[in-house]
Amino acid sequence: MSSFDIEFAAVTDIGKIREKNEDNVLISSDLGLGVVADGMGGHSAGEIASNIAVSVLAETIRKVNNQQLKIPDNFLPKLDPVERKLLMAANLANAAIYSTAQSSDIYRMMGTTLTGVLFDKDCATAVHVGDSRLYLFRDNKIVQITTDHSLAMEHVRRGLLTRAEADHSKIQNVLTRAMGIKKNIEFDLLKFPVKVGDMLLLCSDGLYKGLRESDMAALLAQGRQTPIVKLCKHLVRISNENDGQDNISAVLIKILPAQKISFKQRLRRFFSKA
Amino acid sequence: MTENPSLVGKEISGCEILNKVAEGGMGAVYKARHKALNRIVCVKILSPALANDKKAVELFLTEARAIAELDHPNIVNVYNVGKEKGYYFIVMSFIEGQTLSMLLKRNKVLPIGLVLDLFEGVLLGLEAAHAKGIIHRDIKPSNILINPQGQPKLVDFGIAKKVDKEKGSTKTTELAGTAYFIAPEQALGKDLDTRADLYSVGASLYYVLTGQFPYNGKNTIDIIQKHINDPVPNPAKLRTDMPGWLSLAVQKLMSKNPDDRFQTAKETYLYFKKMRAEDQLRVKMGNSGRAIDLGEEGPLRIVKEEKKTTETIRKQRAEQAAVRRPTTSSAHLPLMPQVDTSVPKEDPQRGRQAAPQPSVRMLDAEAVKPVDVFVPSRKRKEKSSLVNQVGEKTRLLLKAALFIPLFMLLAGGVAYVFYLLGKICSVHVIAQEGLISNLITPFFAATYEPNQLLMTAIAVGALALIFASSAIHAFSRSTSWLLILALVSYMAGLFTPQVPFMELANVSQFVFTPEYYLCYLVFIVAWIVGLCWQINRTWGQGILAASLTVLAMVLVYLSAHLTIAPDAQSLAVKLVFYAGLFCAVLCVYYLAARSEKDRILLPCFLLAAGVLGIWAYSVSGLAGNINQTLDTLTKSIVVQETNSVKSVKKTEQLIGFDSRRQVFASLNKTNELTNMPDDEAYTFLEHKIDQEAPGVFKEDTKPLFIYFLLNYYRGGENKMKFYVWDYAMSYPVKNFNSNAQRNNAYFFLLSLLYVFGIISCAGTIFFSEEL
Repeated sequence: MSSFDIEFAAVTDIGKIREKNEDNVLISSDLGLGVVADGMGGHSAGEIASNIAVSVLAETIRKVNNQQLKIPDNFLPKLDPVERKLLMAANLANAAIYSTAQSSDIYRMMGTTLTGVLFDKDCATAVHVGDSRLYLFRDNKIVQITTDHSLAMEHVRRGLLTRAEADHSKIQNVLTRAMGIKKNIEFDLLKFPVKVGDMLLLCSDGLYKGLRESDMAALLAQGRQTPIVKLCKHLVRISNENDGQDNISAVLIKILPAQKISFKQRLRRFFSKA
Repeated sequence: MTENPSLVGKEISGCEILNKVAEGGMGAVYKARHKALNRIVCVKILSPALANDKKAVELFLTEARAIAELDHPNIVNVYNVGKEKGYYFIVMSFIEGQTLSMLLKRNKVLPIGLVLDLFEGVLLGLEAAHAKGIIHRDIKPSNILINPQGQPKLVDFGIAKKVDKEKGSTKTTELAGTAYFIAPEQALGKDLDTRADLYSVGASLYYVLTGQFPYNGKNTIDIIQKHINDPVPNPAKLRTDMPGWLSLAVQKLMSKNPDDRFQTAKETYLYFKKMRAEDQLRVKMGNSGRAIDLGEEGPLRIVKEEKKTTETIRKQRAEQAAVRRPTTSSAHLPLMPQVDTSVPKEDPQRGRQAAPQPSVRMLDAEAVKPVDVFVPSRKRKEKSSLVNQVGEKTRLLLKAALFIPLFMLLAGGVAYVFYLLGKICSVHVIAQEGLISNLITPFFAATYEPNQLLMTAIAVGALALIFASSAIHAFSRSTSWLLILALVSYMAGLFTPQVPFMELANVSQFVFTPEYYLCYLVFIVAWIVGLCWQINRTWGQGILAASLTVLAMVLVYLSAHLTIAPDAQSLAVKLVFYAGLFCAVLCVYYLAARSEKDRILLPCFLLAAGVLGIWAYSVSGLAGNINQTLDTLTKSIVVQETNSVKSVKKTEQLIGFDSRRQVFASLNKTNELTNMPDDEAYTFLEHKIDQEAPGVFKEDTKPLFIYFLLNYYRGGENKMKFYVWDYAMSYPVKNFNSNAQRNNAYFFLLSLLYVFGIISCAGTIFFSEEL
């Protein structure tokens, strides 16, 4: 799948005040996929939307990999296969949510954000819609790769608000794009090379509301040696302590050199439960 | 739509639902007939999806009640609010008219007088609502209903929107308000006041007067952002018959800053009234409905003034914009997007293209701030790394230079001591019966040699040294290797000198003593206990351990039943041996790598040593004791005794477990070899061997066997023991060429362990945490 060894960890937390967790996360090392989806809207349908998003995405990618599903030839032929695969999966997920939302009043108005990253060789391809984020942590610096599709961030992009103002704005929660709202939506597709030592953090808005980017960077830098799952849990816990107003989800991905897998790790992987 | 299909025809709050009029995200609107009053009403039902949200419902009801209190001719009347049959509802008056937007669509251009009449009504309605503290939030032509009497009525008082809004952090894709008429502060998510409605009135007025939206864009976001950023368009550009004051008023209402607008709906209303009266005066008679008259005159008169004024307003606004915005976040002044003040000076129509997009630099001030949580640990880390950096390399090299030779010396010494110890033990094994007593006694008693006690003391000392050295950081890991090294050295010592005896052990039967069972039991129990100690044992590990245990048992069983001499070992036997060795090493490595606790290694060492030892022991023929070996070997070559008539065959019959002592007793008597010179005796025995067992012994081992027998027959049991002892300690290894292969295996293992130990030691020094 990849020329690196990639470690995945995912944590989701309900937060302090919410009654239910509308976030959904998924990691799959055989697919090389990490996804965060943050559901919204309706009475009970937020988590359904995010669940559909995550599962349809992963299932489609799996089926395409297994050649059970073929990408139509005329589906964006200019993109490379990985991008097409990811985009088609995301489109199918959107269609699934949209049709479910239309099917019954219970699911009305449900939608979800989606931020997923798929690894292939030495590149990561991210698909993104909504206000979940993908951060790249490299050389002790954290960079937000995706742009939030929220009105506040649109304003920031146009220079109407500062980033700091946007972070406290009421319209931070107004999304300009989300899955399941329209039949066809526009996804952001980003492809970037990764290198050994990089960490990728996918998170729902709950996480970054409780944790400044500088703090994230500090935590990640400090936790280089700690197991990735522990680190991921730590991030979520700190964010929850600071804010906790929303569901908090994080997927942490660490790029390790492929050749550096020790015999110990190989044995551990071989014997540990899948 | 499929939702609530049963509602039509049902009765809610005394109203019979007739048909659905409209449906929105928050609920549906039905036309209904109020039975008691017998009039047509409008029933709005809250979406069942929201009905379970207590907060949403509360707000829905509160605001509905507030509107019900208003009772203003320009606001739609609310008759009833409540919950029935699980549905939250609002009963409102049904207005049999059309919306302002519909009117506009039908008529393209509306007379200015009519528009002003309608908006005066709207403003009055708004004033009443504002007085109650209700903000509409969504004023737009489609929310202004005009009844058949030409009276405007405000509907859709942002009830649902307000609910949505109050849910606060809930995500939504809908912004309260409509993009074409949204106030900038609303679009920016700032706190709203009543003046936001005035902006929307201004925008609606612009639209109704000119037939065009004040801002257009490729998408909603674009439009919203233009409301925030783009200069206010001049409606007079699109409609020539518009009085100047109206154009200015619209622009004033649409000011970006609420402070620049009319402050209340009342003020706006009064201004409109006043200006219209002035116009009327100026026109001196005329049809207020014929606004064209006014329009013709208006612009002519005001044009200059208007331009000037507009310019002034814009300049002022631009200045304010440039000055005011940074003050909202004074700390971030240099990082603010630069508002291009020149834009407002441009022609408003042309200036409508996309606003300049300043590059917004990110706010770094926060990023620089240290995180409190991490301060202590970071400091600690810095401190330690600081220490490390000072002469880090030299320190490491010094350490390595000190510890690696030290380790090599220690390991070499330990290996040698244990090798000697193994040799000593081997003598006892040969000389005495039984396994356990022979392996253990040499450590505690100096039975046969004076220097044996010394050797034992040295060996114990070496062990103590190993454990002491484990306390030193650099050796903590290497200790394991030292222990294995000691064990293997001991094994090598135990078996190396007995190679000829292995050859002698050309036994056809193997005596399986209970001691073996005990050994297996000890090893396996130790192994299992070791595994149980282990934390986080996975099923895979369990399977590995179980299979290794089974394999070891099978291996031991197989080896124990080997009847083949080592020289004649088949490939299969070798494979079994090396597989056993590999498994033992593998599980040592595996467990060592999985856990830092050295104690876990112990059972592994025991297993490895057990497999190795039992294999070697059984194959070497030492399993049978020396008497058995002798019995087997001498059965056909016993020399005839001088004082007896016993034949060779009779001797062979006498050899048995019970009678063995007697045989030796009889052998102790003098025989024909007793007084024979060494040379003669040697030749005699050589002849006998060739005669009785031709081809059994190789040329290099035959003399050994002859000397062995010579001493045996001459000196009896005890003499032989000492002879074997001397021989075992002194016989040069080169004479055991026939078994070089196995020796090589032992020494290969030894050197491997030695190297592993050194690497481990170096690793501990250089990557202290890694190993």
